[in-house]
Amino acid sequence: MTETKERNVYEKISKEDVFKKLVEIFGEKYVTNKSGDLYQYSYDMTECKPHMPDFIVIPEKTSQLIELVKFCNSNLIPIVPYISGNNVGGLTIPENGGILVDFGKKMNKILHIDNNMMYALLEPGVTFGQLKNYLDKNYPHLRYSYPYAPPYAGVVGNVILSGMNNLSCKIGSMGDSINGLEVITAGGEIVRIGSCFYGKNEASPDSWWSRYPMPDLMGLFINWQGMTGLVTKCAVQLWPNLPIKQTHIAVVFRLTDVASVMREVGRTDVIDDISAVSIEVVKMAVEIPEPKKFPDEPYFAVMFSISAKTENQFNARMEILSNEIEILNKQGKKVILINADEYVKLFNLRLRCYLDLPSVVLPLVEYSGLTWFGSYAPSHKLEELIEKVYKLFNKHNITPFIYMKMMKSSHYAIFRPIMRYNKFKEGEEKRYHKLLDEIVDVSVDLGCIPYKTPAWMTEKMRKKINPGWINLFEKIKKCMDPNSIFNPGRWNT
Amino acid sequence: MVEIDISLMGKDVLQLAFDNCIRCSTCKYSYKGFEPSCPSGEKFLFESYWASGKIRIIRGVVTGELEWSEDLKDAIFACPTCGACMDACQAPHADYIVDMIEALRELAVKHIGPAKNQELLVSRCEENYNPYGEPNSDNEELKKQYDLPDKANWVYYIGCTSNYRQQSLRDSTLRFLKKSGINFTLIDEHCCTSPMIRTGQLSLVKDYMNYNIAQIKNTGATKVITSCAGCYRTFKKDFEKFGEEYDFEVFHTLELVKQLLDDDKLKFKSEYNKTVTYHDPCHLGRHMGVYELPRAIYKQIPGLKLVEMRRNRNFAWCCGAGGGVKIGYPEWSVEISKERLEEAKETEATVISSVCPFCRTNLSDANDNYNFEFEVLDLMEIIDQLDIEIVK
Repeated sequence: MTETKERNVYEKISKEDVFKKLVEIFGEKYVTNKSGDLYQYSYDMTECKPHMPDFIVIPEKTSQLIELVKFCNSNLIPIVPYISGNNVGGLTIPENGGILVDFGKKMNKILHIDNNMMYALLEPGVTFGQLKNYLDKNYPHLRYSYPYAPPYAGVVGNVILSGMNNLSCKIGSMGDSINGLEVITAGGEIVRIGSCFYGKNEASPDSWWSRYPMPDLMGLFINWQGMTGLVTKCAVQLWPNLPIKQTHIAVVFRLTDVASVMREVGRTDVIDDISAVSIEVVKMAVEIPEPKKFPDEPYFAVMFSISAKTENQFNARMEILSNEIEILNKQGKKVILINADEYVKLFNLRLRCYLDLPSVVLPLVEYSGLTWFGSYAPSHKLEELIEKVYKLFNKHNITPFIYMKMMKSSHYAIFRPIMRYNKFKEGEEKRYHKLLDEIVDVSVDLGCIPYKTPAWMTEKMRKKINPGWINLFEKIKKCMDPNSIFNPGRWNT
Repeated sequence: MVEIDISLMGKDVLQLAFDNCIRCSTCKYSYKGFEPSCPSGEKFLFESYWASGKIRIIRGVVTGELEWSEDLKDAIFACPTCGACMDACQAPHADYIVDMIEALRELAVKHIGPAKNQELLVSRCEENYNPYGEPNSDNEELKKQYDLPDKANWVYYIGCTSNYRQQSLRDSTLRFLKKSGINFTLIDEHCCTSPMIRTGQLSLVKDYMNYNIAQIKNTGATKVITSCAGCYRTFKKDFEKFGEEYDFEVFHTLELVKQLLDDDKLKFKSEYNKTVTYHDPCHLGRHMGVYELPRAIYKQIPGLKLVEMRRNRNFAWCCGAGGGVKIGYPEWSVEISKERLEEAKETEATVISSVCPFCRTNLSDANDNYNFEFEVLDLMEIIDQLDIEIVK
């Protein structure tokens, strides 16, 4: 029987009766309590401590989930949402046991593509690969934006946790591109938020076009890691799929120069996406297994994604980019700009696949463990962050793997040191966690805010956040989820 | 470091489960095609049924975090080991996923036994040397019928499915080999061991491999030809894995047909005016990398219009017969084939053809069960319907 920190989950109802009820709601085929099945959902790729769920359910429709939420609320049973378990933060590990809802298998329909207002209405289980495939076949003139995550990561999970994409320099966080949500709250009530809020019953598919201007209740659910309700529909913005797309790479030879290169190019407002990786990562991408940086090699490679409707527009954008790089070089930075398509020709098809998102970023899947400090960062502090974190990697004798992005024309940045490791090699998990722990301390001190944050990290953050914020946050959580059934344990609630 | 039972055949590949796989889910769908490709996961849905889940089970049972129980059986055995996951996965362990699943099955057989009915694959072999439980044919009758010598350059290794279930395919092959003029014979076969290896039941494997090698040696043959993708895979890949060496070459009938065509020694003298779609057998395609050879032959048959299914070559949807699924999960096995036939229907082909008796069996079963009205034929059966000329 699962014991939580505060209560025995099954004191009000036996596990046998819970199982019966779940079968009644979802059908026998879609409920399991077999150990081999539960075991799969007890862990993720990180070093976050595993914990078994008690049941897994596979929902197909919202009405089943309304019944589930009501049942769990009366019996104080935790509910943990799961799409593909690809997050790097233990977010779907059921820390207090309970019922894990696997959205990825059947509640994964693309409900509507609105060609006029350019949005997609999705169920929570839709993946990036699925959406890309659907748009390419049916709406080739539209595109979504994709993160450097496996193609089978969930779109909705990424947007409601403010994940990344490959239009970041243009549109910023994915959280900003949500038009509307449908959510089940603790009482089992369905709430529609955004322009879809009109109407007592179902919203019309073409009514999910804006988040504003009503009071922004979406904030009650975005970035809450499933702690305030179960999202059952989400409308996300799509973008014109421009015919000309190119990636250019700048190699930067001095350690911290990469920050100003990203910032200044971001401000030109002509680039879709700016992401930088340590040179060791570039070597990993071309299949050098344990890469090292040699003395005169560059420290970072910055990828600039550029798109245009016409050749003239593209040439103008390229001219602006080249001019900016020239200015930076005149200022004493050592930066070389390369056309990525030419660079790819030197290597193999896998590198091409890497650039054509959504794709598997090979260096990230080569080991049995992966962890990170994924954070929103003040862009003017990047130099200091890079310097300090690079030193920490070296101190622990671990290959530096730093990934950064410039967001929304350089308003802010993403700073993401990443670690791949072997989970089962003795001492490795501890060694990598120690490095991560030190990175968190340095980065949070410099103002970074982690996203998709594991509970051990939020525990550290809570010590630095102002008490007013914490009180309000706790009050909202209590109000939204009085019996603490929604993904308990996240943000140390 | 984890300790793995060193008596296991698959001990080295089990170790791979600990060094690889972060469960990125790429194994679940065709790479860059984003199409469902795993019959097991698509049917049973829970994570344990996908390749990454099976790898996780290895970690669980080896470390003791997961106790052996009957509950694990379906997750371990309900999988046709079609290898679609191997083609989708982009991580370094990709090529070893099926090996890992087979090693997990070997371990499972030791602790909880095989899946329901799969034990028959061994007990029937123990009695009759074939997994169908049919009285063993020493093939002497066939040798007489086709006037085959005791000693020859080639051995046609018929395989149990062709010999006991798909005789039309066997006979078409025999007629073709006779017409081709190659000097061949047959042996008294034991099962090639594929069904036992796929289901983790290894007790008879080495003995049977040794027996078949000895039988082939007795004929003096230097070349073995088979019309079965499963036997072909077993001879070409598994014999070596089990440390069995032989000094003959192994061919699929396709390879002979193509060679004769390339050398202008085989000429098709009549037309086959039908639209055909080709189903890639997993044991020939994903397991052995043979995709274009059969297509090249179909395309050379006069009148034949070859059309492709949506999922083809390395992305082909499995027929559902392999990996012990046909005997362990018979209803689901045919459901998998039904999905393949639905895809074939989209092509407007009237014939679905393959080069594997096991695929032929399962596709035929689905065709009959669900009234698809396809002609299900092996390539050798199509060639058998044509007038051919062999230029000596």
